[in-house]
Amino acid sequence: MLSADLVIATGIAYVGLLFLIAYVSDRRARKTQSSFLRSPFVYTLAISVYCTSWTFYGAVGSAARNGLEYLAIYLGPTLVFVGWWFILRRLVRISHNQRITSIADLLSSRFGKSSRLAVLVTVIAVIGIAPYIALQLKAVTSSIQAIAGARAFNEGTLRGVDDVGLAFGVAAGMALFTVLFGTRNVDAKEQHHGVVAAIAFEAVVKLAALLAVGLFVVFAGGGFEAIFSRAEAAGLDIYSTGTFDDRWIAMNVLSIAAIICLPRQFQITVVENSDENHLRTAAWAFPAYLLLMSLFTLPIALYGLTTMPAGANPDMFVLTLPLAANQDGLALFAFIGGFSSATSMIIVESIALSIMVSNHIVMPIVLRFTQGQGVGDGRGVSRLLLASRRFSIALILSLGFGYFYLTRDSNALAPIGLISFCGVAQFLPAIIAALFWKDASLKAATAAVAVGFVLWAWSSFMPSFESASPVVAQLMAEGPWGIGWLRPEALFGLEGIDPLANAVFWSLFLNTATLVAVSLFSSQSALERVQATLFVDIFRRPVAAGTLIRGSATADDLRFVAQRVLGIERATALFESAGADGSEPTPQFIDHLERELAGSIGAASAHVMLSKVVAGGAVSLEEVLQMADETQQAIEYSQQLERTSAELRDTARKLEEANRQLRELDSQKDEFLSQVSHEVRTPMTSIRSFSEILLGEQRLEKAERQKFIAIIHKESLRLTKLLDQILDLNALERGKAGWRNVPTDAEAVLDQAVEVCTALARQRQMRLVADKRATGISIDADADRLSQVLINLISNAIKYNDAPDPVVEVRSRRSRRHYIIEVLDNGPGIGRDERTLVFEKFARGAAGTATAPGAGLGLAISRQIVSHMDGKLELVPTRGRGACFRITLPLSETATV
Amino acid sequence: MERRKLVSAALVLTLLGALLFMPPIASVFQIRRLVLGVPAEVIYLFLVWVLLVVGAWWLSTRLPRDGEDEG
Repeated sequence: MLSADLVIATGIAYVGLLFLIAYVSDRRARKTQSSFLRSPFVYTLAISVYCTSWTFYGAVGSAARNGLEYLAIYLGPTLVFVGWWFILRRLVRISHNQRITSIADLLSSRFGKSSRLAVLVTVIAVIGIAPYIALQLKAVTSSIQAIAGARAFNEGTLRGVDDVGLAFGVAAGMALFTVLFGTRNVDAKEQHHGVVAAIAFEAVVKLAALLAVGLFVVFAGGGFEAIFSRAEAAGLDIYSTGTFDDRWIAMNVLSIAAIICLPRQFQITVVENSDENHLRTAAWAFPAYLLLMSLFTLPIALYGLTTMPAGANPDMFVLTLPLAANQDGLALFAFIGGFSSATSMIIVESIALSIMVSNHIVMPIVLRFTQGQGVGDGRGVSRLLLASRRFSIALILSLGFGYFYLTRDSNALAPIGLISFCGVAQFLPAIIAALFWKDASLKAATAAVAVGFVLWAWSSFMPSFESASPVVAQLMAEGPWGIGWLRPEALFGLEGIDPLANAVFWSLFLNTATLVAVSLFSSQSALERVQATLFVDIFRRPVAAGTLIRGSATADDLRFVAQRVLGIERATALFESAGADGSEPTPQFIDHLERELAGSIGAASAHVMLSKVVAGGAVSLEEVLQMADETQQAIEYSQQLERTSAELRDTARKLEEANRQLRELDSQKDEFLSQVSHEVRTPMTSIRSFSEILLGEQRLEKAERQKFIAIIHKESLRLTKLLDQILDLNALERGKAGWRNVPTDAEAVLDQAVEVCTALARQRQMRLVADKRATGISIDADADRLSQVLINLISNAIKYNDAPDPVVEVRSRRSRRHYIIEVLDNGPGIGRDERTLVFEKFARGAAGTATAPGAGLGLAISRQIVSHMDGKLELVPTRGRGACFRITLPLSETATV
Repeated sequence: MERRKLVSAALVLTLLGALLFMPPIASVFQIRRLVLGVPAEVIYLFLVWVLLVVGAWWLSTRLPRDGEDEG
């Protein structure tokens, strides 16, 4: 026969077993690095701390009252784990890199290692979790009472103890248990292998117990179908009409938020994670676990409703159904299962919260009052941390008990849990922003969390005291000062929706809106920007060693700090592995040390602590960033200088080139001038001497006189021609004014030029070939000038050709838009160094200087003429002997034949 | 399947799960009828749940391992 004494004794024995498991696992974990304890399945089972007595007892009650609704609590986490790649993986990676110890630490670290935000988050978490702890106390109390109340003689020593006394006993026992269990040492990385192993064991126990009860019920009820049909026959609505409404959506949102934001889930999923790849297994195994946990909930609820007497508490069906069937063994197993789910939740939750309280509230206060120095001997901080954690655990459980005491009149378990869910859900917008949005600022996150907290406290937390306080009841009915739209369950006049949906919607909506709006209108500090990049770009680059603290700390100072936080052993190991003994510590080492410390006391406290020690020659982050900026500017400036100097070099090179050309031209000009004077002087001399003869000698014969006059005439013609050419060139150079291009048959002009030159060629026994020709060409040109150019080119080719079998070839063709004439010869060609010069004024080819007459202006004139017809005249390289001049002229647009 | 497609598949699976659990799709199965002796909406929700577990298992073995990812 079960009695209250027996179940209490069983409970204590069970706790003893947990101790043993934790102790053995801790020792094994310390000895062997890779053991069963670090397997992904242990990790997954530990995550199942999500299933508390709410799941074990409360889900059945929820199903009995509201049908399928209880499932929403498990579907949200299922989605989060199925999508582990996107959020959980980031959280785990970031937390490993940054040595994150809690959810408060995560937010504080991301938003510039702010202590203030960490305090806010911690306070909200502690208050928000109180109802959840109360739920566990209530469930354990009710379960003991259910057994005690089943038969009169079961009460045993509990006779005369009311539920408040019993709950107090449970709370005190739990506090003692958790203190002994979870705060034996301060681990460097806040990983508790023993605790995790015990939690995993409890997960197996509660699943087995619930499945056992479920199978028993299905067996007793004659199968699923029979249970459902009998429930329908008993007048129950087995269909969940109207389940998928606003409340369903709100609960799904809450459970999504809870699996990420609940301090204990964060502790197990993120902080206790020893290998990122464990998430892979948890991704499907945890949803499967949840599925198994909820498989029999509905049948148990319906079977309980049909078979138990009216008024029986549906929250306790899991326990009372076996009791009613006199299955005492099964009932005891069910009690152990429920006890498991409550203890595991309380242990992990209070460990997680106590870490937050000691790291973010106690440590900063101690640091402030001691200036980071006199905390006693070398182990002072460790001892202080342990003491503050123990104190926090007691505080958390007493808050839970206080909440239980105030709300002891309300019945159902699930609604209490939802209040906590809604409270911690206020962290979700900030966390999502922390992971994905670099511009989210500290001010925004603080404001958002605060706004969400206030709305939650008003619309969700406060209403739970309705039955305990008439003031609250009046507020709920009429609103403060009679302002109707401030009523907690119909905020801002939003009536007619479920109170939970109302609270969830307004708190999360205004929370998110604040986060976005303030982020957009506020700026980030340098440290915030650095941390934001580290968080958001976690997968994009290897985490750079941020040399955030620099300065002239001695290794001794640092070692002193490290010993106080990490303990002598770990500190020594750390310093030895880094080789930082004696020598000046590098910024990298200080950064490394900061992260190690953060693993124990949180990012904000570690940062403050090290900043104090390293102060002195310390360079603030702003200064570091500014230095980086200045360096960047210097680099840019020098790049600019380099560009300028390259430009200058280029200009100088061009100038040099131009100068060289000028000089060459100058010397050409000198040469030409001397030649011109020679050219001019020769005819002038002959003109002068012949005219002197004509003047002085009267007795010349007529024929002789005629001859002399002819010479004078010829020489003066030569002079005139030379002067004409100079004038012509001068006019051409002055510009296009007076120049008129008209549509011209280019081939006809070419024919004419060839004809003119044929005589010259024949005179020199030369072949003039002109058979490769284009046809029907019309260009815009001045026919006479073009003819002049062609004659000049062809006659040049003839004049300078000294080949034994001289040939000059003229050919023309058309390309797509151009008409091309080429004049080739097999003469001496033009040297490479003369190619650019031949077109200059007063220039003549080396070969031509001696033999041929002319002033060297022909090509210069020709080039000017061609350019006036929008074409170009160039010397193209040839294979073998000879030169090739090419004229390229645009085809007439108006008259394409 | 290549890496990017796998990541997309993981996202789609998650979002699809969310869609299927929510009204209006979930409401479609509230037909007040029994399937295998159990209300249709219960069967539906558990079926989607099982599919998500299987999908998550399938993806978890294929999504790239540590060290081969960049975002």
